Amino acid sequence: MSQRPLELILARNLMSALSTPAFLVDEGGVLVFYNKAAGVLLGKRFEELGTVGPDEWGSLFGPFDERGEPIPYDKLPLVIAVRNGRPAHADFEIRSADGARHTVEASAFPILTAHGSRGAIAIFWPTSSNGTGG
Amino acid sequence: MKLKLWGTRGSIPSPGPETIRYGGNTSCVGVTLSDGSLLALDAGTGIRSLGLALAAEPTRLHILLTHLHLDHIQGLVFFAPAFRTQTEIVIWGPSSPEASLRDRIARYISAPLSPVEVRELPCDVSFRHCPESEWEIGPARIRAASVAHRGPTLGYRIDDAGCSLAYIPDHEPALGADIETLEEDWISGFALARDASLLIHDGQYSDAEYPEHIGWGHSSLSHALSFARRTAAQRTILFHHDPLHSDERLDQLGEEAQERWAAMGGARGTVELGFEGSEYELPLRSPAPAAT
Repeated sequence: MSQRPLELILARNLMSALSTPAFLVDEGGVLVFYNKAAGVLLGKRFEELGTVGPDEWGSLFGPFDERGEPIPYDKLPLVIAVRNGRPAHADFEIRSADGARHTVEASAFPILTAHGSRGAIAIFWPTSSNGTGG
Repeated sequence: MKLKLWGTRGSIPSPGPETIRYGGNTSCVGVTLSDGSLLALDAGTGIRSLGLALAAEPTRLHILLTHLHLDHIQGLVFFAPAFRTQTEIVIWGPSSPEASLRDRIARYISAPLSPVEVRELPCDVSFRHCPESEWEIGPARIRAASVAHRGPTLGYRIDDAGCSLAYIPDHEPALGADIETLEEDWISGFALARDASLLIHDGQYSDAEYPEHIGWGHSSLSHALSFARRTAAQRTILFHHDPLHSDERLDQLGEEAQERWAAMGGARGTVELGFEGSEYELPLRSPAPAAT
């Protein structure tokens, strides 16, 4: 198992101390961590899930646009941040493991170093919840 | 590989009768590789004595800086070989987005802090940012990696003739994390120290002192021991002693370290505090006597 870059280690340590839902991907877009607050939102702790590849983690929680249509993977703020190396923001709806729907604002920013991209962080800000879905 | 501790103190030189045994000079470790190549790990005030010990003959050496805090570079302008035309010095260090390594070091080696400028040094000096990948110096493979401290900071691993030295003098791996339970790949500096023949690691604070210094970039005794245990380093030298710690206080910490190391299942005598002037040869043949 290779050593994680320090920037990801420090990001994870910070996120672990936050009550704001936060997600961390590495430079390849692999979801390598989300914090307890994000676990509450998704209905599943990171320890239950483990790392998830870049083509899979979007399906964990949707996401969906205001018409209920799935949002393409490459339109997600976290993907834009890690692929394009710039901040991105969006509003969308997610569905947690228990079926509850949440509208969130998501902001993502890249983790750039002198040696290139290390990954990206996204913070979710829930703006409303619609109870348990069917 | 042979090494000598020329400076074991952290933060600021601390000379005086109360620190005479562990030493008052700041971080510097001299390393002689298996082919005789010379390395200096950091250039705190201890490098002055290293320079005086080198014969006044053509010398080529590499200085590996972990970072540019003053206690790790202060000895550069008092390093005698730097003032000889026949000396070639290669200084390695961390990159930074704000300026080159040369320009950042020149902030210290320039007026009004220094009577000489970098360009005035008589020796042949060059500055290199450490690469992300391994590189070679003589027979050794060198690896540098960023570690948790304040500002761009590296730890080093030197592999030579089947032995390995890990040098991480300024390190706070437990900042915001529990290194007893954290996965190995998420522990700062882990790959540098894993199974090292000898680990030289930050042990600046007692556990009682650490809560007042969270985020300052240094380890408590517990954190240093946990890091040593998790990485399975064969022998550990606690280093970068706090300037407020007298010889008497360090003796107490050394005893506490050995007791707690034994309680963690560690072999007796494989953890010790670094003394200025101590010499080691890798492979280490037997545990050193406990600090007394």
